[in-house]
This record gives sequence, C-alpha cells and structure tokens, in this order.
Amino acid sequence: MNTNSNTYTIIYTTVLVVVVAAILAIVSSLLKPRQIANVELEQMKSIMLAANIGEVDGQPDKTAKYDELFNSHITSTYVLNEKGEKSDVATENFKESKAFKADLKSQFNAIKNGGELTLPVYEATLDNGEQVKIFPCYGAGLWGAIWGYLAVKADNKTIQGAIFAHASETPGLGGEIASPWFYNQFDTKVLESDGQFASVKIVKGGANGNPNGVDAISGASITSRSLQTAIAQWMDFYKAILTASVESIPAMGLIPVEEAAEAQEAENNESVNAQ
Amino acid sequence: MEYLSLFIKSIFVDNMVFAFFLGMCSFLAVSKNVKTASGLGLAVIFVLTVTLPLNYLLYEYILKPGALTWVSESFATVDLSFLSYIVFIATIAAFTQIVEMVVEKFAPGLYSSLGIFLPLIAVNCAILGGSLFMQERGYANVGEVCCFGLGSGIGWFLAIVTMAAIREKLAYSNIPNGLKGLGISFIITGLMGIAFMSFMGIQL
Amino acid sequence: MLNKMDKDIYKKPLFKGNPITVLVLGICSSLAVTVQLKGALVMALSVTLVTAFSSLFISLLRNTIPNRVRIIVQLVVVALFVILIDQVLKAFSYDTSKMLSVYIGLIITNCIIMGRIEAFALGNKPWPSFVDGMFNGLGYGIILVIVATVRELLGSGTLLGFRIIPESWYVQNGGFYMNNGLMILPPMALILLGCVVWVHRTIDKDLQEK
Repeated sequence: MNTNSNTYTIIYTTVLVVVVAAILAIVSSLLKPRQIANVELEQMKSIMLAANIGEVDGQPDKTAKYDELFNSHITSTYVLNEKGEKSDVATENFKESKAFKADLKSQFNAIKNGGELTLPVYEATLDNGEQVKIFPCYGAGLWGAIWGYLAVKADNKTIQGAIFAHASETPGLGGEIASPWFYNQFDTKVLESDGQFASVKIVKGGANGNPNGVDAISGASITSRSLQTAIAQWMDFYKAILTASVESIPAMGLIPVEEAAEAQEAENNESVNAQ
Repeated sequence: MEYLSLFIKSIFVDNMVFAFFLGMCSFLAVSKNVKTASGLGLAVIFVLTVTLPLNYLLYEYILKPGALTWVSESFATVDLSFLSYIVFIATIAAFTQIVEMVVEKFAPGLYSSLGIFLPLIAVNCAILGGSLFMQERGYANVGEVCCFGLGSGIGWFLAIVTMAAIREKLAYSNIPNGLKGLGISFIITGLMGIAFMSFMGIQL
Repeated sequence: MLNKMDKDIYKKPLFKGNPITVLVLGICSSLAVTVQLKGALVMALSVTLVTAFSSLFISLLRNTIPNRVRIIVQLVVVALFVILIDQVLKAFSYDTSKMLSVYIGLIITNCIIMGRIEAFALGNKPWPSFVDGMFNGLGYGIILVIVATVRELLGSGTLLGFRIIPESWYVQNGGFYMNNGLMILPPMALILLGCVVWVHRTIDKDLQEK
C-alpha cells in the first residue's frame, strides 16, 4: 500500500482526528460531573474558610465536609451591580444561586473595562450566632490570576477572616498568599483608617500596631501589592453596602472614576515607598 | 500605551526563557554560535506571532464554553475546551509544516538557512506555552494577543542570541572537565535568569 | 520477554543515556515543577505514562503513518494521552492539577516523548518501544526527584510537605537556621541541574565534552 499518496494521507488524518476526538469527548463527558463538583467544592471551601468556619487552630480542618457546612451556615446570597444595588437574592439552594455561579474572572474584566457587574455577596451565620458578609475579590498577580474571599462582621468594618488563592505565583514566595500564616493575619483587622472606610494595606512591617494593615510577604512585593490592589478594587464596590444601607441612598455606589484612580495611585506609591 | 507596556513586558519581564524556562531544549541545542541561533530566533518570532492570534481566534470562536453561539443559539452550552491542547498543537504543527513546504518551494535560499529549524519549532515548548498562557491569562482582543506573541518571540530571540554570544566566548575559557559544554550552559542560563529577575521591579 | 541484548533498553536511560543530563531533552518542565517534591513526583509519573503509552501506540501504527504528516500524527497521539491525564487529575486529584497548571499541557512538547518516538518507536516493535519509553520517563523522573529534593529541603525545610528541619532550629524561634530563599527561585533549578551534570560527568568520564 502506498502510504505517501494524497488520498491516503487525507483519509488517515481524518480517521485519526475523528477517533481521537471521539475518545476525548467520551472521557470528558464521563469525568465532567466530578470535575465540576471539585471546582464547586473548592469554592464552597474557600467561602467557608474565609469566615473561619471549618478551621481548627487557623488551619483548614481536613475532615470537614465543606459542602454541608456551606449549606448550613449561609443564610442568603445576592449580587450587586455597578451602582451597588442588590438583586437576585437567594435564600435557599445556594449552589444554584446567581451569586455562586458568577464568574469572578469575567467580573474582574468588567471592572477593568467598565461593564455591567454582578458582584456576588454571601451572608452567613457563624456558630456563635454572629452575622458575617463574605465578599470575593480577583486580580492579576505577578504571573497569573489571584483571588480570594474576605469576611466582614456585622459592624461592617471588622474583618472576620480571609482566604486567598492563586493560579501560578512562585511557590514559597507569592504563593504564600494561600498559606494560613498570611491570610490569618487579616482576622480582626478593620476596614477603616482615620474614621474613614479604607481597604486593607499590605505592606512590609504593616501589621505593627496598625489595625488597618497586614505584613507583606518578603521577596514577593509584586504579588503583595497586586493583592492589595485587587482587594481595594473590589471593596470600592462593596463599600456601598458596608458604609450605608443601599435602599436609602441608591446613588452612593461609586466614587467618581478619576478620584478612585488617584486614590489607587497614591496607595501604590505609598506601598512602594514603604518597601 | 497598553499595547506598548504589554509588548515590553513580554520581552523582558515575562521572558519566555529566563522567567518561564520554556523552549529550553532547542535553546541549549542551537545556541552554540550566533548565526544559527539568530536563525532559529527569527523563526520562533515568526511562528509565535502568527500561531498565537490563530489559536486565540480558534479558542474564542470554537472551543471556549459557549463560544459556538455565533453558529446557533442552541450551542450555548457546548464546551469544547477539553480539545484546546490538541487544537493548539495541531495548528502549530500544521502551520510550521505548511511554511516549510512553501519556503522550500519558493525561496530555496531562505530554506537552506531557516527551513531546517521549522520542524524543530513544532516541539518548541515556548510556542505551545505561548498559546497556553494566552488561554489562561485571557487577553481581551486580537491586538493584545499579537503584541504578546511578537514580544515573547523577540524575548526568546534576545535570549538565545545573548546565550550564543556567551558560549562563543566560553570556548576559550578554562572550565572543569565535567562542567564543559552542557553543565556550564545550565549554570549560565540560571545566572542570566537571576539577572533578568531585576526587570520584575519595573512598573508598567 | 527481553533477551540479554535488550537489557540496554532499560539500563541506558537511567544513567549513561539519561534523557536530561546527556541527551538534553525535556528540560523546560523539569524546572518549573521542582520546587516541591510532590509536584516533581506527579510530573515524573505523568511523563513516564505518556512516553510509554505514546511509544507503544506509535510503534503499533508505525507502518501505516504517512511520512509527510508524521509529526502531526505523533503530536496528536501524544496530546491524546496528555489530555486524558489532565482530565483524570482534574477529576480525581484536583489539588495536584491546580499545582501543575499549564505544565501538564506542556508535556505534549516535552522533547523526551517526541525524541523517543522519532529515535526508537518508529523503528521498533511495540513491546521494546513501550519499555524504552517507560525507562526514559523514569530516567527523567530520577533527575527531577534529585533536584526537587534539594530545593524543597533547603528552600522550605520540608520533604513532601513534612517538616524535616525542626522548627526550633530557625532563627525566629531562637535557633541558628534560615531557609535558603534562593532555592525557591526558578533559576536555581538550572544551577542545580548544572551541578547534577557535573557530578554525573565526573563519575562517568566518557560523557565529558572536549
């Protein structure tokens, strides 16, 4: 048989591609439910750990069933638009809620490019009866994406806890944002500086007596700075429900864009100088 | 402005060789003299700049979850992203093979200097790596992807040419026997990687 | 199943013909995944599986592959196995899959696989090809594990996540020891690899370059 003829080559490659695609389609559809379940479990785990639920001594509890904790602790979920207005409130079946399904990456792109937003918020009751609100954040780190959740207590300024994760930061350096020693620093910090609402500062030696700052990771100043920016960017929108009740002052949602950019820049300079 | 900063960033800060260590096999094998090194470098620039936008379009309009809605609304739930590796690598391999055939037929002079590198490029991880990073970082439009591709290519070119220049000098240095050739090349690449880390401090 | 002459197939890749330190194949992935031993082990296992099975598969097809599209056919077969591994990891070991991220995809262009297919599987029977692929994967794995052990031990004081260097030795706990931060940086993998090559070539003088 002439294996170099055009017809043979074309038929051969077609058959090969069809066979390979078929195998992959079958495997992918068989494994898809498990993969989605993994991703959802990961998300529920992060949300719970942010509120320090399912943690033992500040470390994630290896035996905890985070999907059960999630269903028993979350009381409602909703999304905020770019004006800080609430919608799509869900009080049951949270896994199917719009907040849980919201893709953080596309939200981040919308924040950057000024599109319509559906920023998720979760409200949960802790084991001691306290109410917390849990907010996600997402941004660009040194190599890839970084994201996380921040839980704020009912006084709307004290942080209950936080958790962060990353796609491809350097292990041991930027990757440390996902380690308990780093994210546990956020516990009991306040989102306030000089009586004004302010996002958390992540600077070197920042934890020293500063109720508003945490220590940056040494050797990973870019990741630390990106995380600070990411939290600040998202908190700008969540500020609406943290500083005033949305129903009474619906226009409170946003500070003017230029002002926000300036504040951002000032913050960045500060953190550079601090290092 | 954004394009320019992305461009500079992909040459220096996110340098394919020194920051991600991609394309090391051909980097080490072909960096013995500057002339062949620049030949391979040019071929990499060319292939990266063309295949990245190609793969971006394929991903955006065919593979991404819900990408097929332009064909029919009923395809909104179709997710072909599990095929992305295979589509990316097939695009790259097919493209290099086509270019090789075209160059061989119409520009034999160019083929003798550049053509021999084209088969090497299909298995150069920098090329596939570029496509995978493109997918992961989610660039906004074709323009950004072109900038990223061109920048990464130039970064790779720069890396292999500097390395070749250093290795040409190394031929006259006194190196312990066991380290000669490969060993010292590894160590030098490592040191250059540390040097390139200084670019990370640039704010773009 | 192998006669005496074929013993070379599995002895060679482990030392004298080691894919990384002698043939200079598959370097890219060896650097990014060696910060922690766990990543290195998973990567070594994945590469071994992909090399072995794609060699077997290509060897079975070797007389039917049209020469002009040879490279594409090989890449498609390799990509098939890589995607299978990626999908299985995502479904059953989500943490590992997150840790290795794009580097699983980059196995496709790991030159060890293509190198063994071109050099061995295309001209040999399926069983020897399978063994050759497997042992080349293992030879690659050995180097990965050596580099990862040094980097994790000196860089984080742990092995496979377990603490080896006692907490009380550290400066912040009143001891004398500090982790070597340089070990965690990617360039250090290359420098260590250089040292591995040096040791290897000092033991086996035949491999030294003029």
